[in-house]
Amino acid sequence: MAVYKRTYKAYRGPLTPSWSRFTVLSRYGFATLFQSRPFTAYTVICMIPFLIGLAFIYVVNSASVRALLNMRGPEMVSINNAWFMGFLGFEAFMTFILTAWGAPGMVSKDFANHSIQLYLSRPLSRAEYLAGKVSVLAALLSLTTWIPALILFFVQASLHGNGWLWQNLWMAGSIIVASLMWIAVVSLLAMALAVWVRWRIAATALLLATFFVLPGVGGVVDAILRTSWGRLFNITYDISMVWAYLFRLGDMQRHAGDWDRVPPWSAWVALLTVCALSLWMLVRRLKAREVERA
Amino acid sequence: MTAAIELENLVIQLGNRIILDRLTGSLSGRCIGLLGPNGSGKSTLINSLLGFYKPLQGSVRIFGKDVQSHLRELRAMIGYMPESDAFIADMSGVRFVRYMAEISGLPASEAMERAHEAFFYVGLGEARYRKLGTYSLGMKQLAKLAQAIAHGPRLVLLDEPTNGLDPEARVRMLELVREIRDTGEVQVLISSHLLRDIEDCCDQVLILKEGRIAALCNLEEERKANLKFLELEVSQGNGFVESVQALGCECAMFGAGRLKIVLPDHIDLRHLYRLATEHSVQIRRMNYRRDSLEDIFLKAMASGTPPPPVPTGSTNGRL
Repeated sequence: MAVYKRTYKAYRGPLTPSWSRFTVLSRYGFATLFQSRPFTAYTVICMIPFLIGLAFIYVVNSASVRALLNMRGPEMVSINNAWFMGFLGFEAFMTFILTAWGAPGMVSKDFANHSIQLYLSRPLSRAEYLAGKVSVLAALLSLTTWIPALILFFVQASLHGNGWLWQNLWMAGSIIVASLMWIAVVSLLAMALAVWVRWRIAATALLLATFFVLPGVGGVVDAILRTSWGRLFNITYDISMVWAYLFRLGDMQRHAGDWDRVPPWSAWVALLTVCALSLWMLVRRLKAREVERA
Repeated sequence: MTAAIELENLVIQLGNRIILDRLTGSLSGRCIGLLGPNGSGKSTLINSLLGFYKPLQGSVRIFGKDVQSHLRELRAMIGYMPESDAFIADMSGVRFVRYMAEISGLPASEAMERAHEAFFYVGLGEARYRKLGTYSLGMKQLAKLAQAIAHGPRLVLLDEPTNGLDPEARVRMLELVREIRDTGEVQVLISSHLLRDIEDCCDQVLILKEGRIAALCNLEEERKANLKFLELEVSQGNGFVESVQALGCECAMFGAGRLKIVLPDHIDLRHLYRLATEHSVQIRRMNYRRDSLEDIFLKAMASGTPPPPVPTGSTNGRL
């Protein structure tokens, strides 16, 4: 109908499948994030470690290139579980900044101007709303963590040969589980803080404080109560503990410092608690906001 | 017209408080007005229609389907304009409406087309690419209306649509509501404090008081019925009143020769003139008095305990 025919008409055309409605939120979420050029540029920068890793694996596995570059022995750096954990750790740091930048704005705008009631008065449940928003972060963080890490893993397997793949296949599972754990913790936490304060800048500050101030609080707890449990407030520590377990580096970490003062299971529990609390905060806030009073 | 909304012994409890208490009624008007003082349960009823509150007892049906068991299907057929501000400030108007239409199930291209149409329809065509955060209050209200109708719903719920609007914008908003109503493709439910708004647009009205139905009446039929409702001022009685009653009219006298008469269908004004001649009574003033919505509302509010719902088309006890 031409726009000059200004009359109301009911819609009788086809509808999209009911299950796919949350993808609308994902699509608009991506579009909104990538409207910002600095954000797009930073996302590209997050891919650089992958390219460097790719080149490094090639060099390590190619005798002729090593000779050309005058490098000695294939054992100069071994591509193993520690290398992959190091790669993921660096990418996790990059993606933390990405999340702190992008996540709060995705939900705080909906909460700031009461538009939640408009979403939820449509055929969209609270779970679908969350799925739509989290999927944006999950996809973005996957593209910069476990997907490039897995590509590097298979490139290494194909260049190295000699049964490297079968000997280290467990590592592929570790890469995926470790990354998903990180993605779940950081994205749920960022969104929960954003819906709690409803102001993007404050939400970003709160996320940074959670990662950089809370360990200090944990240290104070440790000092006052003469215990080791306070360090569980340090999410980075918890993640490192869990990753060390997943990448079978527990012994190595233990030698490096005081890692065994709290049992590894407590780090798992701490991270799962962070996820559960964040989810609870999100659902609670959503439920409270589906009905607004003028 | 088939009933858009059916309430059956609906009880809604929030916390320990009963907000809606045993509401029963059938709303079938093209435009249904929802009236009541603050705290009477208007917004709670709208939220129950949207499925946000589960009934403690009873049920709500929309187009014959139970809201709680067909929530998703029904929400696709409903357009909702909330009372409070609801928008995404840094999105352009047309993008926001398109976004909402897509969530309602429209394919992207259709949603885009209808978002533009909706913006032109509500009169914001020129401002559709501006960010919603820069809109005036009146424009935000119109943008909320646009998002409520863009996906072509069968039932539109408008919660205080004229709130905060200047007189010109209010007139425009009511015009739009009437236009939407008159297409016959959609039924509209308006919640408002303003009796004038409801009277201008609605053909059926539900009045709530303290969570119960104080009145449910069909304004169209009220208006038709009021054509037979007369106020007379006569010089003196002289048996005139008794003769009028003998004709079969309901009649009440208010002193100083003022009479209120309801004429049955088979009696017309000639019969009254003849009786006046016979009794030598001068008719000094005669007018059809229409029970305004205000009268109906005040009567409903004045009654101590809310009366049971009045059947559609009744006289509502005008005398």
